[in-house]
Amino acid sequence: MGSASPAVSGAAPALRVSRLRKSFGAVVAVADVSLDAAPSEFVSLLGPSGCGKSTVLRMIAGLVEPDAGEVVLAGEDITRVPVHRRNLGLVFQSYALFPHMTVLENVAFGLRRRGVGEAERLPRVERMLEMVRLGPLGARYPRELSGGQQQRVALARALVTEPRVLLLDEPLSNLDALLRDEMRVELKRLQERLGTTMIFVTHDQAEALALSDRVVVMEGGRVEQIGRPEEVYRRPATPFVARFLGRANFLTGTVAGSDAGGIVVAVDGGFSVVASPRPGLAPGSRVQAAIRQENIRLGPAGAGSDRANRFAATVVFHAFAGQTHHYVVQLADGRELEVTAAGSAPALARGTRALIEWGPEDVVLLAGGAAGEAAR
Amino acid sequence: MRGARGWGLLLPAILLLVLAFLLPVGLMVPTSFRPYVPLVGITNGFTIGYYTRLVSDSYYLEIIGRTLALGLTVTLATLVIGYPMAFFLARTTSRWRNWLTILVVFPLLLNLVVRTFGWIALLAQNGLVNQALQALGVVHEPVKLLFNFAGLLIALTHIFLPFMVLVLLGPIQNIPRDVEDAARVLGASWGSAFLRVTLPLSAPGILSGSILVFVLTISALVTPRLLGGPTYQVMSTLIYDEFLQRLNWPAGSAEALLLTVMVLALVFFSGVLARRTGARA
Repeated sequence: MGSASPAVSGAAPALRVSRLRKSFGAVVAVADVSLDAAPSEFVSLLGPSGCGKSTVLRMIAGLVEPDAGEVVLAGEDITRVPVHRRNLGLVFQSYALFPHMTVLENVAFGLRRRGVGEAERLPRVERMLEMVRLGPLGARYPRELSGGQQQRVALARALVTEPRVLLLDEPLSNLDALLRDEMRVELKRLQERLGTTMIFVTHDQAEALALSDRVVVMEGGRVEQIGRPEEVYRRPATPFVARFLGRANFLTGTVAGSDAGGIVVAVDGGFSVVASPRPGLAPGSRVQAAIRQENIRLGPAGAGSDRANRFAATVVFHAFAGQTHHYVVQLADGRELEVTAAGSAPALARGTRALIEWGPEDVVLLAGGAAGEAAR
Repeated sequence: MRGARGWGLLLPAILLLVLAFLLPVGLMVPTSFRPYVPLVGITNGFTIGYYTRLVSDSYYLEIIGRTLALGLTVTLATLVIGYPMAFFLARTTSRWRNWLTILVVFPLLLNLVVRTFGWIALLAQNGLVNQALQALGVVHEPVKLLFNFAGLLIALTHIFLPFMVLVLLGPIQNIPRDVEDAARVLGASWGSAFLRVTLPLSAPGILSGSILVFVLTISALVTPRLLGGPTYQVMSTLIYDEFLQRLNWPAGSAEALLLTVMVLALVFFSGVLARRTGARA
């Protein structure tokens, strides 16, 4: 199986969701969401809270009934199949373990409901507990376990029934940072070992990028972009995606023309930036140029290279965050840009006259330069 | 320091308990062993006769049995009627929710005697219930619903139902919906999820609601007195008569102490039961 991205074409999708729609009263929670997952694929639904990602997951599970659209599991339309006959796994943010049952009973619950006899049940439960490194804790009650252990019980409970698709609703959000990173690795390895198709809901972009074969970015009940992690990160399709995945500076302007070096954008208010060539942007069209903080190189004045975009700037804010330095610099016209630099580099003090520069390939052009919002 | 402050907070309650409960009950213990001679009063002797007759005389055994049976059936009836009500109130998202809760409590705002007289009017030989039953042709002769078990069961169930619903409401609300959803995703039908997850997790509420209603029922005085009449006795009416009609304080003390011991034993054993089962939840 490995970490290579699974066949996206060819194989029938393990799960297909088409034109799913759900309103709660007057609020449209999910509007025409379509996505699919290939067998063994790890797909993330990424978006801010309230974007409808959890509702999509609950509709796939059958806990929320869609107003329209369909859910197809391995070719079978399950839109109207009751929850308990869907044979899916679901891991909750709250873990939702049965507090009155031992770890063993928790994990065995799904097998019992499927009528798996004790002779077969026990070995399967024990093997699963072994797999999530909870072997000796079967007799404990959930309240006697740590958060990370409870999370692993929830995983084991969902996986032991060998669900056709495992759904995960922000499963790592309740863990502290260190444990979260650990569980992230563990989850990914488990998925690769078992080959289970997983749909993973999260609001954490780093989590989505690190775990997924593909990321579905959602906002306001709609899909903004679907793509491999590198794709959505490097080539965001909409200003929202650019803003939500990583921190970027946005410059609003008009396409002035193109030359051998790329597209020249006249930024509102004076200067111009050069971006890599991109089809479909005629001169005169309004665009937003997004430049990620970490792609801007910051150096003392006079130490520049020959990058296409080079501007004099003054450091107006500096904070050290361990792995990175965080800067705010001011351009000649008073505009402020945010810049991150490697933490190993020497710091530039506030007030330092500096030079910032970035290459054309670092500029992401997004059509439709509405009133330029400040970078997040 | 912390412990001392904790006890300080409990002090008013402890004082009240000692002065208003332990002291009077303690005073009843010696009284219950004194012989009572009619027209003379309490004499300076010693007898255990008032206890022995409670556990040997069929008249008293019947009253004790009837009291316990009434307690159990009223508890069961309020549980069966109250659980679905509490479940509905805990889960509904209706904007009428608060009003419905007030409706449950509403009977408590009416005076107990008034409510009991209401039941007399309803349950009497020619009361509304019998008239309706006869008009519908369900029965031809009036059913006896007053001065017997049925009447007490109906009225006490009605009176104590709000307590059961209110006690159940909190624990049912505290059951996370995710846990039920998890059971259903794992293959449990709605009914199976209810039996295996929701019901066991509401056990603490069921236990405390049952204790409350049971204790209230076996110690209820006004309703059994009015609906049971002078002849259909339960322990509380017996004790009342002993003290205030026959002026036989020693007998009344013995009977009251037995009732107290029964209640304490019940509370103790349900505590043990709660630790066995509820401790997991």
